[in-house]
Amino acid sequence: MSNVTKVGVVAYDPKVVTIWEGIKDYFTANHVAMDFVLFSNYDAQVDALLDGWIGIAWNTNLAYVKVHRRTEGKCGVLAMRDTDVGFTSKIIARAGSGIESIRDLKGKRFALGSRDSGQAAILPEYFLKKSGIDPAKDITTIRFDLDVGKHGDTGTSEVEVLNAVTKGDVHAGAIGDQYWARALAENLVDSSKVRAIWTSPGYCHCNFTVRAKEDEPRFARWTDTLLKMDYNNPSDRKILDMEGLKRWIRPQMDGYRVLFEAVDDLQFFD
Amino acid sequence: MIFNSSTSIDAESLSAADGLLVLITRALDKLKPGEILEILSDNPSLEHDLPAWARLMAHQWLGTTAKDGRRSHRIGKGSALRMLVDRQPDWGQHASIKDGRFETRDWLLGHAAEIRERAQPSDGFAPRGAEVEKGGPDFSFDVLDRNQAWSESAAEFYEQATAGQWDGSRDIPWAALRPLDEELERAVCQLMTFLAENEYSALYVPAKWIARIHPHFAETVLFLSTQVRDEARHIEVFVKRALANGGGLQFSSASTQASLKSLLDQEDFIQASFLLSVLGEGTFLDLLRFVEAHAPEPVTREIARRTRIDETRHVHFALDHIRHALRGDGTLKPKLRQAITDRASVLSGLKGLNPLVEESLVILAAGGLSPGRLPAGMKARSQLYETMNENRIRRLVSIGFPDSEAQEMSELHTPNFM
Repeated sequence: MSNVTKVGVVAYDPKVVTIWEGIKDYFTANHVAMDFVLFSNYDAQVDALLDGWIGIAWNTNLAYVKVHRRTEGKCGVLAMRDTDVGFTSKIIARAGSGIESIRDLKGKRFALGSRDSGQAAILPEYFLKKSGIDPAKDITTIRFDLDVGKHGDTGTSEVEVLNAVTKGDVHAGAIGDQYWARALAENLVDSSKVRAIWTSPGYCHCNFTVRAKEDEPRFARWTDTLLKMDYNNPSDRKILDMEGLKRWIRPQMDGYRVLFEAVDDLQFFD
Repeated sequence: MIFNSSTSIDAESLSAADGLLVLITRALDKLKPGEILEILSDNPSLEHDLPAWARLMAHQWLGTTAKDGRRSHRIGKGSALRMLVDRQPDWGQHASIKDGRFETRDWLLGHAAEIRERAQPSDGFAPRGAEVEKGGPDFSFDVLDRNQAWSESAAEFYEQATAGQWDGSRDIPWAALRPLDEELERAVCQLMTFLAENEYSALYVPAKWIARIHPHFAETVLFLSTQVRDEARHIEVFVKRALANGGGLQFSSASTQASLKSLLDQEDFIQASFLLSVLGEGTFLDLLRFVEAHAPEPVTREIARRTRIDETRHVHFALDHIRHALRGDGTLKPKLRQAITDRASVLSGLKGLNPLVEESLVILAAGGLSPGRLPAGMKARSQLYETMNENRIRRLVSIGFPDSEAQEMSELHTPNFM
């Protein structure tokens, strides 16, 4: 078993099994022994990584920040999705609410996603603060705490934020750009009621985290094999489509800085 | 990636939620990876919407600038293929339409005209000529060879079949039925029962093969579907005639059932088509002509006439199909002969034609059970059997069997006719 690379993944949805069975088949076909271990939440996965139960954790950005703190910055990163770079949060506002910019949010009802969602809660709160809106005093926040502990880039709480703005239960709300783009493309947005009024600076989302930077070479074969998945190969394409990327890329760590700042500023882990 | 400015679209004030993404997607489809699409817009939300969408679709977001009081958004086309295909679909086809008709044989255009020697299981239900995305499932069609499944004339037979459809409720003069002598009515009802059960096999056999022939050989599949439709109508009118005039459905014999089941059990398309359509339906043509000639009233006569016209088409299609297959496969002839022999041995322990049917043929030809007319009925039936045998031999010779072999094969054919 020692040669089998164990990858932790959070089962936020049944399709996670389909995706990872596909990835495992891909690795097997490429003569790299790997298996995946399902976790019901990121905290348990982070513990398992640090305890050495798993070698690699497929982490959401917040879980990565947690590992980073607990290893005092010694953890390493192997790869991420092309779509994990340049992720943004959007503020969407109800038409007719008079909200054209962040300043206009003062005194309004504002919806946020799950408290552990980077894109729909933590970063929006942080960016609001930086723009001079104190979420605790200047606005009334409504939170949709769904799937707490498993929040990846597909949070169900973002659906609730969009619904709340559409129905007029709140004046505005925060969601990730990935859900916003999907909602636009799938005709889930009533443009007479909701529109995006603000986009955050870009940041990074998920990555494959290892316990220590020194471990990265030990997983080099695994990483190289992953990076060779090809969107122009039909069987790879199925997996990549389900996991929401066109290609795996080497880590781009700049995009996590803002997340460290936000977590510190909001004292999220304290 | 180097981005070159290429194309511009004016989106007016259309929102990303209301169709703009379709407009952009179609515009990007016309560009090569790396080329740039400019979207001119008066909608202020796009600078938030388009970067998110571009990222999701793996296009490059190149930003928004002011231009003549409007906004200019720029997207660089990414390199991910939307459809994994080897070549681009056809474009610019114009079929020949003569006197307002688009004949099926004239649809052999562009990629649709490329008939492969062997069909690809993964092409599945895609119409021939469409570009099929890679990664689809392999279908379980097992008739994949052009020589087995395609012939030039299939389109023509299909055209004839669609033109020849009729309505079993409307096109038979049902109102012309009058009470018949009871024994004559009983004979008609027994023959109708027999005809209907045979036509069930003639429906199920092609239906089974439709599900196994690759759609690449569309003309054959379409023709067989008309055959299925024809047989459905034949079953309908035979059953209706049995029920319409004071009689009812009569006996179905074990030997008939065994004979018909052996057709359905065939596991080779050409052999099944040979046994069913060349020999079985071929023999039925003479039977239907006999019923038409001796029908005691216009309803039975019209039923026999109309069904015979349809069956003639099935026989001609099968003859053409088998001639075509024989030209391409030198080993086929002995296999066809073997198929008859094998079927004869499967059926060897069984009695011949249902005696109730045999008697009904005599009674029909005699116009009843009158002793004075029965000899003529007996003679007519013998004449029918002779005609059936002669015509079977003629058909076998027409597809290339020598006279003596054709005679032997005809004699081995099931006494059940079908």
